[in-house]
Amino acid sequence: MRVAIDTGGTFTDCVYLADGRLQAVKVFSTPSDPSRAVMNGLARIGVDVSLELRHGTTVGTNTMLERTGARVAFVTTAGFEDTIAIGRQARASLYDWFAPAPVCLVPRELRFGVPERVSAEGEILRSPTGEELTALVEQVRASGAESVAISLLFSFTNPETECRVEAALGSLGIPVSVSHRILPEFREFERASTTVVNAYLAPRMESYLLQLEKRAKEQQSRARVDVMQSSGGIIAARLGAQEPVRTVLSGPAGGVIGACRVARWAGFERIIGFDMGGTSTDVFLADIAAGGAQLTRESVVGGVPIGLSMLDIHTAGAGGGSIACFDAGGMLRVGPESAGAEPGPICFGSGARATVTDADFLLGRLDAESFLGGGVQLHPERTEQLMCECKGPLATAEEFAAGIVRVVETQMEKAIRVISVERGHDPRAFTLVAFGGCGPLHACSLARSLRIPTVLIPALPGALSAVGILLADTVRDYSRTVMLPGDAIENLQAIFAELEQSAGEEFAAEGLDGTAHRSLDLRYRRQGYELNVEYDAQSPHRSLEAFHALHRRRYGFAQESRPVEIVNLRLRMIAAGESYAAEKRTLVPGNGRTALVTTRKIYFHGKFQESRIYRREALVPGDAIEGPALITEYTSATLLPPGCRAQVDGFDNLVIAVGGEVKE
Amino acid sequence: MTRADVDPVELAVFQSAVHSIAEEMGAALRRTALSPNIKERRDYSCAVFDSRGRVIAMGDHMPVHLGSMPMSVLAAIEAIEFAPGDIAVLNDPYAGGTHLPDITMVLPVYQVKRDRAAFYVCNRAHHADVGGAHAGSMGPAREIFQEGIRIPPVRIVRAGEIDRDVLSLILLNVRTPREREGDLDSQIGACRVGEQRVHELVEKYGFMRAEALIEELLDYSQRLVRAQLREMPEGEFVAEDWLDDDGVSDEPRRIAVRLRFDPGAGELHADFAGSSAQVEGSVNAVRAITLSACFYVLRCLLPRDAPATAGILRPFTLTTVPGSIVDARPPAPVAGGNVETSQRIVDVLLRALAQAVPERVPAASAGTMSNLTIGGTDPRTGEAFTYYETTAGGMGARPGLDGISGVHTHMTNSLNTPIEALEYAYPFRMIRYAYRDGSGGAGKFRGGDGLIRELELLADAQVTLLADRRRFRPYGLEGGEDGAPGQAVVTQGETGSEKKLPGKTSLRLAKGDRLGIETPGGGGWGKRAR
Repeated sequence: MRVAIDTGGTFTDCVYLADGRLQAVKVFSTPSDPSRAVMNGLARIGVDVSLELRHGTTVGTNTMLERTGARVAFVTTAGFEDTIAIGRQARASLYDWFAPAPVCLVPRELRFGVPERVSAEGEILRSPTGEELTALVEQVRASGAESVAISLLFSFTNPETECRVEAALGSLGIPVSVSHRILPEFREFERASTTVVNAYLAPRMESYLLQLEKRAKEQQSRARVDVMQSSGGIIAARLGAQEPVRTVLSGPAGGVIGACRVARWAGFERIIGFDMGGTSTDVFLADIAAGGAQLTRESVVGGVPIGLSMLDIHTAGAGGGSIACFDAGGMLRVGPESAGAEPGPICFGSGARATVTDADFLLGRLDAESFLGGGVQLHPERTEQLMCECKGPLATAEEFAAGIVRVVETQMEKAIRVISVERGHDPRAFTLVAFGGCGPLHACSLARSLRIPTVLIPALPGALSAVGILLADTVRDYSRTVMLPGDAIENLQAIFAELEQSAGEEFAAEGLDGTAHRSLDLRYRRQGYELNVEYDAQSPHRSLEAFHALHRRRYGFAQESRPVEIVNLRLRMIAAGESYAAEKRTLVPGNGRTALVTTRKIYFHGKFQESRIYRREALVPGDAIEGPALITEYTSATLLPPGCRAQVDGFDNLVIAVGGEVKE
Repeated sequence: MTRADVDPVELAVFQSAVHSIAEEMGAALRRTALSPNIKERRDYSCAVFDSRGRVIAMGDHMPVHLGSMPMSVLAAIEAIEFAPGDIAVLNDPYAGGTHLPDITMVLPVYQVKRDRAAFYVCNRAHHADVGGAHAGSMGPAREIFQEGIRIPPVRIVRAGEIDRDVLSLILLNVRTPREREGDLDSQIGACRVGEQRVHELVEKYGFMRAEALIEELLDYSQRLVRAQLREMPEGEFVAEDWLDDDGVSDEPRRIAVRLRFDPGAGELHADFAGSSAQVEGSVNAVRAITLSACFYVLRCLLPRDAPATAGILRPFTLTTVPGSIVDARPPAPVAGGNVETSQRIVDVLLRALAQAVPERVPAASAGTMSNLTIGGTDPRTGEAFTYYETTAGGMGARPGLDGISGVHTHMTNSLNTPIEALEYAYPFRMIRYAYRDGSGGAGKFRGGDGLIRELELLADAQVTLLADRRRFRPYGLEGGEDGAPGQAVVTQGETGSEKKLPGKTSLRLAKGDRLGIETPGGGGWGKRAR
């Protein structure tokens, strides 16, 4: 049995297939040892003979955010020991004289130089002697390092010296991360930074994943444990333990895959994902027909750049708990400060500063009875009074609350613009898939301002990440930097075949049946950045045409006569995941009457309007509901403004047609 | 209070939208440019202007560009009768530019069926060579005519088509025409990306509404500045600092300012009377640069996410003496005014400001961009190359915080060229890139350390250094010590003999020679505890 487990801050979600249907189990997380919650979840489900555990973990992310990783020794070409701290020499905040120093995971006493040099062309100009390597090993040993990152200049053009240094340091018995394997690409700082992150996470992730595997095997001797990568593909836990930098965004990546799957079943190919939680919001864009979610190689996690290909998940520092205030110029601001769990929003009873959740509550958008299953008591009078005290120049607390909602939705809008418009995609051609605790509450309004016509609220919006992990494919990426002129495009078959053979062998060794997808990174000669286009094996020159067209669309110009450079050949090996397709139930036209709980006043467009409140669990496929309405469920609530119409589809998703604003 | 018909929420929405246009133009420029100075170091800036040429949004790029770009737009509007599909190009410091390597493009965005531009989008990028006497166009010139090709505001694109006549004229006058052409193409592309986004903005808001929001946005910036200025102590604060020399004679050059705060009116006046007369060497700043430095300092007094718009300058008046080093007149050379004098102007403004609000002002940062330009022929390809790079120094200590080491400060924020990009592109080998230990000024809070960058030439080349803070060190504040001065040394490949270079010089070096640059540390803040 395959079980997907996503560890979150509060809950650990477990999702599995039983009798052809997705089942979900929620247990409380155990932050001190996350694997305990995993075992608790497995116990609740009851494991049969062939456990295949797939895990989405926040251990990597949290280690980065909390700075609790290993003591890393950084080994590089002598003369360049400080480059890991100097970074790119620019400041992050242009106009802030009091910005803190940027993060460097390697303190000075742990930076070591090797007397060696490789040229840009890959020629070894100077090799370290045996004595020099021995001296290095002794220095690193004496430093008390728990992990080592090796990143020598130009190692990606010729890894020989890096391999020798690796072999020498191997005698220390601590994890060694090597740059030409982690990220074989130019730009020494980004490559080194990525390698250091790997080393920083290695001891902790290794012990965590191996511990998890051990526990799973105790339950069931042939158990297999896999882990979700930040790129959206599954790899064996053993490999995840070796290259933990690949799993820093493991949990959110599950959300991306889950949203894509759910959307595809429901018939939506182009989606913008919107996962709004308590303190932050993750957004991403996926064109499922064009291979799914976008990937980026310019991520920054916990202040540290990571150059690996990761799902392009953009995080905005605002969520339900974000605090609202007026600045000196009189502009209303929301976040990045958050009320967190302590003191929490005003309406939870102890906070005193207005948050987005308070605004939603004051406007009638939270259901006091059903909030978190009735597990949290909400305080209406306290909220009303304190919101009034915070309202600044605005006339009423309601206007203030409505303002907070609009400002926070603007930030969400901006985040979505970053991943859509700024990358050349028109949001009007996409469907907004909203999940997470607060996503469904703000989705319709956000869709309206971005002119997105349709919103999809998946079934199980709280467990969507786990669903994604369960259904994800096993994916591994291979690449070769070639730096060839565009004319060579007809002669790439052999290199691709070579890549494909070694990838196929790796997959076969794990009992996986992989399919290869080929693509090319192209650019105009002497540009610094590439565009990735599919490699057309039948007529390779079509890839060139695709490149010119994409360049024109993204950057405002293209020149067919200009020489093109083939930078990287990329091979993505995919072994399909669970061959599950959700069962589509028959729609029976209905109006959701049996799910109607009550009616209540909710604030829309400047005034309170009588709105119907529904229980989502009681809705059935075919039910259609007109706004104004609120559809509540255990971990979330969907707000349907006037002019919007929701229908339950055959998969229990809410599909919302976003109409224009209705003003009376 | 805000205007009756614009609420704070709509304003925030609009501001985000305009700002992202400028950012998006920058991304397009970086991803398509050819020269390492633009694609790797991001030595460019983008901004959006309203129909009257007032800046309404700036990308978070290079402060020295940003504050002076409005003059480019105004110069282009004045000189050219624009039609839809046109793009203007210019670099003349005496007609909207700052120094010749910074080439600016201005695209007027027309509303459908209107004959007047409703917006302007603009980008400026530093080109690694624009001709002139020295490869890299940053050498010790005596007249602007020696600094490279001067481009008044002219159309490089007419009705959507590149004007080949103008382009050929420019390209014939530079050392690396193919790279220049590629970079100019990128700038044109970035303008079009901006144009497209402005169209979408107008479509969303409607032109009338957008105009109302622009007025409010400018008023909002003004309110933020006035709120700050009202909190300042009343009075006059006077400061001076020095440039080591102008690269021609050894005589130090003075920059002086008198700041007058009027908290009652919420106003600030800066008078640079007493600054040196314009000089023979290239450290002359045109007035746009002086204004740019003032704009930067005002913007830094505001909250971190405040928008940078023309409204910031409304409560501010600037007085400069025409023909002085902070308001140069033609034909004075100006290459260094943009990069060196601009930093000294900030140093002087901060020194004066520190008397008014000591707890809010850092000690002096490196105060020089340590500009290095190298030109020659790459033996690997037989093609000409020109290289430009600035090296960061130490940041001045802050009350409560040490200065950051090896980081660009104030008027610049370019990145370094990765060594692995540099050695691909140029016939150099990097020997060392490291912190310069102990160069930050001591104090209760330490100034940041400068950097050491040392390279070996793999071809004969012309090397030009344009740097300052060799004699007059970055000052400490409140008893903190000064930062260490910068220096540069050439080691001859054949003999191994070392020669210390002056701050501003241009010389021929041979294959095998090594050049080491050490940048100044930042000043300390507060007395060091015993």
